[in-house]
Amino acid sequence: MMRILVPGLRATIQDRGRRGHVREGIPPAGAADPTALAAALVLAGCGPDDAAIEIVGLPFSFRCDDRRVIAATGRDVRVRTRGRVPGWTSVLARAGDEIVVEGSERTRYAYVAVSGGIAVRPVLGSRATYLAAALGSIPRPLAAGDELPLGPSVAGVESAGRRGPVPAYDGPARAVVGPHDARFDGSMVERAFATSFTVLAESDRMGVRLSGAELSVSGDDLLSCGIVAGAVQVPRGGAPIVLLADHQTTGGYPIIATVIHADLGIVAQKAPGEDLRFIRVTPEGALRSS
Amino acid sequence: MTVHAFGDRAFLIELEQRIDVSIVDAARAIADAWEERGLGEAIPAYASVVVEFDPERMPWPTAAAAANDLAARPPRAKAAATGRLIEVPTIYDGPDLADTASRSSLTTDELVALHSGREYQAFFLGFMPGLAYCGTLDPRIDAPRLESPRARVPGGSVGVASGQTLVYPADSPGGWRLIGRTELKVFDPARDPAALIRAGDRLRFVPR
Repeated sequence: MMRILVPGLRATIQDRGRRGHVREGIPPAGAADPTALAAALVLAGCGPDDAAIEIVGLPFSFRCDDRRVIAATGRDVRVRTRGRVPGWTSVLARAGDEIVVEGSERTRYAYVAVSGGIAVRPVLGSRATYLAAALGSIPRPLAAGDELPLGPSVAGVESAGRRGPVPAYDGPARAVVGPHDARFDGSMVERAFATSFTVLAESDRMGVRLSGAELSVSGDDLLSCGIVAGAVQVPRGGAPIVLLADHQTTGGYPIIATVIHADLGIVAQKAPGEDLRFIRVTPEGALRSS
Repeated sequence: MTVHAFGDRAFLIELEQRIDVSIVDAARAIADAWEERGLGEAIPAYASVVVEFDPERMPWPTAAAAANDLAARPPRAKAAATGRLIEVPTIYDGPDLADTASRSSLTTDELVALHSGREYQAFFLGFMPGLAYCGTLDPRIDAPRLESPRARVPGGSVGVASGQTLVYPADSPGGWRLIGRTELKVFDPARDPAALIRAGDRLRFVPR
């Protein structure tokens, strides 16, 4: 069992997303930064479908009532327990140790995985929390005093100290052009990849809002179509939105480019006021390089 | 039909871009075929399908070939008239009922009779969990979207806009004209499936 001591601003249980229900209009949810979630799970000895905790607004602290391997990931994340440990590292936590996860002013999403995984009851096939529709076993931000069940731990002392590779959060995000690029002038598509956007404070798990280059759409309104995370939507106003885990399943704004899955975390973790640039890749190339 | 890359783990298959029951049925048949072949999830809409795949299980060129194959040889669409019939008990007292009737040169009774007098097909679900876009409205009902959407539409509201009708599953912003409300729970996370209406179902609004 894991007991939350300091819950941060908004902590939720997330996994890699609720699949199989998009045709009911249910967003996948899951981690806003899938790369950081996956790394935390590996470092804590969990499986890829296990659940961890996503935190907005550090610090976050907790203790476990038995010995566990834990890992914290995210941008600029570190761990304080009996000593200081960098993020993206397996840590052995003894029963009753207080584990504090800290970040910097640039940290948007931090992830804490515990060996055995957060073993709350799945809802519609997933442990991901979608607050907008109160979906999830605990459909609210976690609070101090919450006690979360953990699965049986398989990771042992030998896994402590392992490190995982940290993504280049300061860098650009790779994106594939389209699918609606034909609805934009060629110069608009070039501009999307040539200029630097600024991340706005209104960004959240639904999407990252950008200001900067105006990308005007030509032609008639679009009929709503299905959407995937990473889609760079261009509303009539011209300020693009990069959709993240809590995106609506369908939308009617044209999509000029789509960030590849491996770089969703780079977009999600940008702090308000920071620059974001897109680098054009081909979808086959994206897979080889990720 | 055209196939576009949609990021590195999906494709967008576009059909003829207009709202028509036969195109909706064709899009849904493509989505069903993608899922039945075990290739991944698919999201049908009015005139398109997004097909997703897991690159760890299927490399991009294989997925691209499968998407192009579906577009080149689309499966035969099932007749939508075979969907389940869902009755929606409706109290016609929405805030936009009188205005929508008058702009359509109808009395409110005539508008209610037209809206409740035909069966609709659920085209697809989107925008929010459990929300089914249904059509088509009697063309005598003149209902463009509201110029400025409401910040909060109560869950259960029955709306019309642009030849279509729907039930809002929960409180949300919305720009459709509200003509009534229903107690029917079209989305309930405690239920599986959580969404009451499936694409292809038939709907009838029954005045209460």
